[in-house]
Amino acid sequence: MKIIVCIKQVPGTNEVKMDPTTNTIIRENVASIINPFDTYAIEEAVRIKERYGAEIYGLSMGIPAASEMLREAISLKIDKAMLLTDRKFAGADTLATSYALSRGVEKIGAYDLIICGKQATDGDTAQVGPSLAKTLGIAYATDISKIIELNYGFMRCMKITDDGYEEIEIKLPALITVVKEINMPRLPSIKSMRNAKSAEIEIVTSKDAAADENRTGLKGSPTQVRKTFVPVHDVNSIYISGSTEEQSKKLAEILLGKES
Amino acid sequence: MENNNTFAEMYSEYLRDESRQTGMAESISFPKTEEEIISDLKKCVYKNMEITTQGARTGLAASAVPFGGHIINLSKMNKVTGARYEKESGRFFLKVQPGVLLTEVRKYLTNKSFVTLDWDEQSREALNYMEKNQWFYSTDPTEISASIGGMTACNASGAKSFRYGSTRDHVESLRVVLADGDILSLRRGQCMARDGHFELVTESGRTIKGELPKYKMPHVRKNTSGYYNKPHMDMIDLFIGADGTLGIISEIEIELSKKQAANWGVTVFMPDEDKALDLVRVARGEKVFEDMEALSLKPSAIEFFSHNALEMLKVQQKTNSAFASIQEIKDVYHTAVYIEIENDSDDEIWKGIDCLGTCIEKLGGDEDATWVANNPTSLEKLHSFRHACPECVNMQIDIAKKTDSRITKLGTDMSVPDDKLKEVMKMYNEDIKKNNLHAVIFGHVGNNHLHVNTIPRNMEEYKRGKELYLTWAEKIAAMGGAVSAEHGVGKLKVPFLQKMYSKEELDEMRSLKKLFDHTQLLNRGAVFPFEKGEDI
Ligand SMILES: Cc1cc2nc3c(=O)[nH]c(=O)nc-3n(C[C@H](O)[C@H](O)[C@H](O)COP(=O)(O)OP(=O)(O)OC[C@H]3O[C@@H](n4cnc5c(N)ncnc54)[C@H](O)[C@@H]3O)c2cc1C
Ligand SMILES: Cc1cc2nc3c(=O)[nH]c(=O)nc-3n(C[C@H](O)[C@H](O)[C@H](O)COP(=O)(O)OP(=O)(O)OC[C@H]3O[C@@H](n4cnc5c(N)ncnc54)[C@H](O)[C@@H]3O)c2cc1C
Repeated sequence: MKIIVCIKQVPGTNEVKMDPTTNTIIRENVASIINPFDTYAIEEAVRIKERYGAEIYGLSMGIPAASEMLREAISLKIDKAMLLTDRKFAGADTLATSYALSRGVEKIGAYDLIICGKQATDGDTAQVGPSLAKTLGIAYATDISKIIELNYGFMRCMKITDDGYEEIEIKLPALITVVKEINMPRLPSIKSMRNAKSAEIEIVTSKDAAADENRTGLKGSPTQVRKTFVPVHDVNSIYISGSTEEQSKKLAEILLGKES
Repeated sequence: MENNNTFAEMYSEYLRDESRQTGMAESISFPKTEEEIISDLKKCVYKNMEITTQGARTGLAASAVPFGGHIINLSKMNKVTGARYEKESGRFFLKVQPGVLLTEVRKYLTNKSFVTLDWDEQSREALNYMEKNQWFYSTDPTEISASIGGMTACNASGAKSFRYGSTRDHVESLRVVLADGDILSLRRGQCMARDGHFELVTESGRTIKGELPKYKMPHVRKNTSGYYNKPHMDMIDLFIGADGTLGIISEIEIELSKKQAANWGVTVFMPDEDKALDLVRVARGEKVFEDMEALSLKPSAIEFFSHNALEMLKVQQKTNSAFASIQEIKDVYHTAVYIEIENDSDDEIWKGIDCLGTCIEKLGGDEDATWVANNPTSLEKLHSFRHACPECVNMQIDIAKKTDSRITKLGTDMSVPDDKLKEVMKMYNEDIKKNNLHAVIFGHVGNNHLHVNTIPRNMEEYKRGKELYLTWAEKIAAMGGAVSAEHGVGKLKVPFLQKMYSKEELDEMRSLKKLFDHTQLLNRGAVFPFEKGEDI
């Protein structure tokens, strides 16, 4: 069985700096981490490997420095890692990101399962998983909180919904996105860190992935972030004074809209 | 001073500390200045009232629990009053009032948010050399709501004392108000004893001449058992760890440490206890096998979790949602050792951990049975794992308390010399088994300082456990160990200290006390039993 885990590098802090001209995140010189949701995806893949046996590929699209993050993913016990990195991938929206990732998946070759995090902590759209499945033309399920059973043809799992849980069965190959409830990610061991130090990260350019330039990066992104801002929460307080009677009268007037 | 009939009701919380012992008192005051301490003391001495000094009352040895008389509570003297930077040596100091809490000092240092309104020019200038979150006070007791004054009086320490030492190593100067209201201002390096003799001059110009006791302190890494004593000692050290029996500390200058760029932790699971103890020895640089390379790890903390401690955590993890977020403890994990490391760079730390991995394998362990934390988030996970131990013990004690309310926590605080580590562990294990008790062991193993916590299921077991502790005090004293390593002797462990020092040696301590506190009013009954002197 082969599992691909999509792993995104995100800034480690909440103090994200934006490039004012391109409206994209400045990723240089910011301590970055594995997108927290993706650590659950990695852990679930490793648990499947321990239970059923599998080979796990980590796949990421990002700046060259993201290869260090993939090394960390290897220390969490995935087997191999591929980084899609090229100027032509830069400035991608979710559509272009999913297309690029789909090229990576094709390059990795035959697979049984793709696991993504529920969402990234920076972009936060939760669109890449489903969009990647669409691009690849495979089945997908989001917000998975438990894998009950897995065999070569099918997977039975639990999905969190607004009203509770749904038990679903999905035909493989498929893509799932996972939520935090699914497991408790492990820490690396000395042994796995040593393995990661000497592991090779496969670096793949747009050309290597045979990607259509019109579908990647800014060029392939119909969505352009025009402006980002922190929403202003306007809370207006009105203080009422006077005797109890005066106050209740005023309050009634306000509630009835007779006074602003 | 506040004094009325319902004192015990109004001030009930001030009659206790974290040892859960309850005492009694007649009155209490909350001085805000050194002058107020002096005037309160003078009033007490005039009335011949005993005085109990209190910091934050987090002590575990009932040292701040009053048994009559007046309480001087220092919680309102809680300001940082200045800073000092020595450019040449790059050393940073903070001047604090005794009641300021460790948490507050930490917060000020992290955010550089000192209230400098009353600071002098020099102190404010010193702050220009401080960057946010770059300096810390290295003494790290698990209880962070302790006061700096209380920590100084107890010579508190913590996990990182393995590398940084205890409070004593970071106190640069002290102001101590003596029972008669006179003041000693002591700066490190400026008041040395010679051949067991000393001379101290008070602020009023009085000379206090004295002879130091003859007893020798144990050769252990951590000790708070009785007065610090060495023939050529710095006299400031006498007042650190004296359990508030010699005077009231009214001002402390503490030295800060510079934060290092990288901070990692690793929890190692070994297949049995003996191998775990060997790993401890390796981690602190001992040569355990012949062809061993010197380990360049330089740990700041080495902590221990006995098999029973892991079993206890495993049960809680499955049944209590509060502990659900701790890492999964596999059934093959037997005994654990936690090592924390700080250094200039991740690479430097990795080099040490890489070697450690090789040693683990050589000792018969598995380097895959380890949890490595190389960032603040995962380090926090390993810290919560460590803190879960005392929390679980407390929960079990609360359950036992339901069978009998007299049951309290039974935890030891003793340390031994390096070469007695295995011997003391053997003693603990055998005695626990022989007495048919249930116990978990964890703590600061790098300093041969373990907390044995017996978990009594009923009053009978509690009594048996308590008796056992007294025999341990005796055996540990015979091994050249200390009956109190970090919590102080206080009032609770006076019988333990009597196992460590002879009657004559304790009399020597008492004479020293009388030199500074004539009528033995300060914290009477702490460290050694009160005996009426001829001069009263
Ligand atoms: C502030 C901000 C606002 C944005 N708004 C939009 C917008 O409105 N519309 C839009 O189309 N784009 C938007 N983007 C761009 C978007 O962040 C990128 O397209 C990003 O690469 C993918 O989207 P996401 O971060 O929302 O990921 P999500 O869809 O939230 O991620 C879900 C999962 O997909 C996988 N994944 C996502 N990205 C990668 C990757 N690069 N490599 C490997 N796996 C990955 C991971 O498993 C992840 O857990 C925005 C970006 C920012 C910084
Ligand atoms: C959960 C828990 C964990 C703990 N972990 C540790 C640990 O890891 N390491 C450790 O060392 N301790 C530990 N302790 C014990 C305790 O926190 C320390 O002993 C601490 O130093 C006590 O400080 P305090 O301000 O609470 O002092 P108090 O309890 O108020 O007083 C302690 C003693 O100091 C004297 N004193 C206080 N202030 C002054 C002063 N200004 N002048 C003269 N004497 C004074 C008192 O008279 C008393 O004798 C722990 C306690 C708890 C409850």
